[in-house]
Amino acid sequence: MKKLDPKNLSAQLRYRAAGNPPGTLPSSAISNCFPGLEFDFRNVWRRIFVGITLHEADNYVLDAEPRFKHLVGHRLLRVDGQPLVVPVMGPQRPGADPIQLTSSANPEGVTFMEWSNALAELLQTKAGKKVRCEFTVKESPLPAALPTDKKPLLVEELELRPFFAKGEQGPLAVIAEELAEPGELTQGLCSPWQNDYRECACYYWAASRPDYVNVEQGPQGTSVGINWLQKDRGPEAPQQYVLDNREDTRLVSYDDLFRHWQESLHFQVEGHDQDVVTLPEGGPPDARSK
Amino acid sequence: MRAPSEVLAAPPATSEARRLFSLSAPHAPSVHLFQTEQGHHLLVVNGSRLFDVDAEVFESLDRARLARDEASLQRQLEELGVSEAPFIDDQPVESPPVRALSLAVAQKCNLGCTYCYAQQGDFGGPARNMPLRTALDSVELLLRDVGQGERVNLSFLGGEPLFNRSVIRAATQRAQELARARGVSLTLSLTTNGTLLNAEDADFLEEHGFAVTVSLDGLQETHDRLRAFKGGQGSFARVMENVAPLLSRQRRMQVSARVTVTPRNLALRETLDAFVDMGFHSVGFSPMLSSPTGRDEMGHAELELMLEQMVACGREFERRLIAGQRYPFSNMVNAMREIHKGTHRPYPCGAGAGYFGVSASGELAACHRFVGDEEGAMGDVATGVDRTRQARWLTERHVHRQEPCRSCWARYMCSGGCHHEVIQRGRPACDYIRGWLHYCLEAYSRLSQARPDYFGLTPAAG
Repeated sequence: MKKLDPKNLSAQLRYRAAGNPPGTLPSSAISNCFPGLEFDFRNVWRRIFVGITLHEADNYVLDAEPRFKHLVGHRLLRVDGQPLVVPVMGPQRPGADPIQLTSSANPEGVTFMEWSNALAELLQTKAGKKVRCEFTVKESPLPAALPTDKKPLLVEELELRPFFAKGEQGPLAVIAEELAEPGELTQGLCSPWQNDYRECACYYWAASRPDYVNVEQGPQGTSVGINWLQKDRGPEAPQQYVLDNREDTRLVSYDDLFRHWQESLHFQVEGHDQDVVTLPEGGPPDARSK
Repeated sequence: MRAPSEVLAAPPATSEARRLFSLSAPHAPSVHLFQTEQGHHLLVVNGSRLFDVDAEVFESLDRARLARDEASLQRQLEELGVSEAPFIDDQPVESPPVRALSLAVAQKCNLGCTYCYAQQGDFGGPARNMPLRTALDSVELLLRDVGQGERVNLSFLGGEPLFNRSVIRAATQRAQELARARGVSLTLSLTTNGTLLNAEDADFLEEHGFAVTVSLDGLQETHDRLRAFKGGQGSFARVMENVAPLLSRQRRMQVSARVTVTPRNLALRETLDAFVDMGFHSVGFSPMLSSPTGRDEMGHAELELMLEQMVACGREFERRLIAGQRYPFSNMVNAMREIHKGTHRPYPCGAGAGYFGVSASGELAACHRFVGDEEGAMGDVATGVDRTRQARWLTERHVHRQEPCRSCWARYMCSGGCHHEVIQRGRPACDYIRGWLHYCLEAYSRLSQARPDYFGLTPAAG
């Protein structure tokens, strides 16, 4: 048996397994400050209606059970009388009213309101019940507006799934199993090492790294150094700072990091590249690393 | 009334109660330890966190606990990785919004129960009904600052509230209109002695989905002894005749029985089974700890008998739950829910915080029991909550200010006990409460293993 096994909910919520860092607790996890880095819960909206699969961030029907196949490619415009799209209005200028913004990719000038807010009230009052869903009459690859005239829409009564799983004593604090297949909540996430490590600026959690390196004092008393991503950095290389630009081949690219970050990055010790790092006595015998 | 010695003339065996008194004794304020067939268990008082531990950890903690070595306990909790900053600090909750009101719509009663906190219904004053205006003002106060999606509760008590039916109906209607207009979820409750319930009441209560609580103190003979009409004749037959149609009509409405336990009605198991069979939505027991005259109060000997009975009921609950059968023993249902959540709180209830009693003349009181009592006065419905008195109340009633609670392991589960009883009589039932909680912790450890699905848990692997 384990030495200690948390049983009730307050114990489980606060329990930090031996060896786990503080960030493994819900209260101190990175997703508290930067939602979406541990899982992307938008994926639960894909199956919020029984019988159809929606895009997690759009009102577009991606797939459906045979009985609802005729809805695939259509857009869901209204649920239980509540609109899911609103007009996109342009900037306010002095002396003129804002105008509806249209473009070739959005000829009707509308935007979809994200699911969480659009469905919040319905989930509280109608979860588990059938609700009236109104779809575009035709397939709609582009965003579609609610018709302003009385033109009919394609109507189906679809069951709204409850968001939370249910225990015998009421809703639990976990997302209902029917809403996400295994792996779906994490399928669209970035990888901190391969992306955010390069992407993120100072003070962001994934960027705990020096970004101005091999710094010396210049003749005028100002500092001279290079961008941490510069590839050419031997003793002969020009001490010229290359501004960050992901298309500049003088800098380490995302692709370099994906393929061989171990070779591309250098340890920084006291502000300078160190290809050989001597570990304190008692360290592992092969202490050479790059 | 019989003296406790008479009750104990042929003392029933109370071996279970004595076992629980002994095992639940307060040793350390930071932990409680217990064992079941499932193994060794640790309750970390801070956060009401429950762990299974191995024998070695258990014994080491137990040594420190029995030696009252708080420093060693803290060190061990730290090593186990379960030491945390206190979840409950000394700060009283500040000006909480009003979210529940109970209206004493009729400060009068037709029963003459000797132990009644309302002194046979009138709270020691002239018998009177709440005017409609006062009830509507109360509803307005309840729904004034509520946001969309929030929940509020409106309950009707007395005395016997059904002496003022028309006001109950009008207040209910107004509350529902306001709640609907504001998108607020409203729950309604009524506590009644059942003697005046009629068929129209049943329609009304069902239509509005009331939680109806009927005060019943046992089966006919027992109930009639304790809850007689003022003229002396028993009320049981009338109550059951009136309640039976409600029991069969429960769809939206829930009809529960509440038993006040005195030295004269200690046959809990028999009472529970009978009421469950009759179809009550739930049945709950509460010991009479403080009556205005001192009559029918429970002493230590009677609480020992009660604990023995409560555990017998609890054991039956365990058996029935494992067998997948309904057994709505509400003390147990609530205890399992709160232990599972790890509820920890500095106050035993919302009294004087988000909950107030309203007297027939519109004064606010800390709860329905404090109606007409200067001790719990909190302003009135016209001018609103007296925030100064409320702040003083919440400061003084915080469990960290209570003795001997501060050194008791059960302080965040019991939270110091009913304010009214404590202010009137003190804390005569600590052993009983701890004994009951200790049993409930044991039962939780068994049931979370045997019926994890009941708690929404998945069965342990392997």
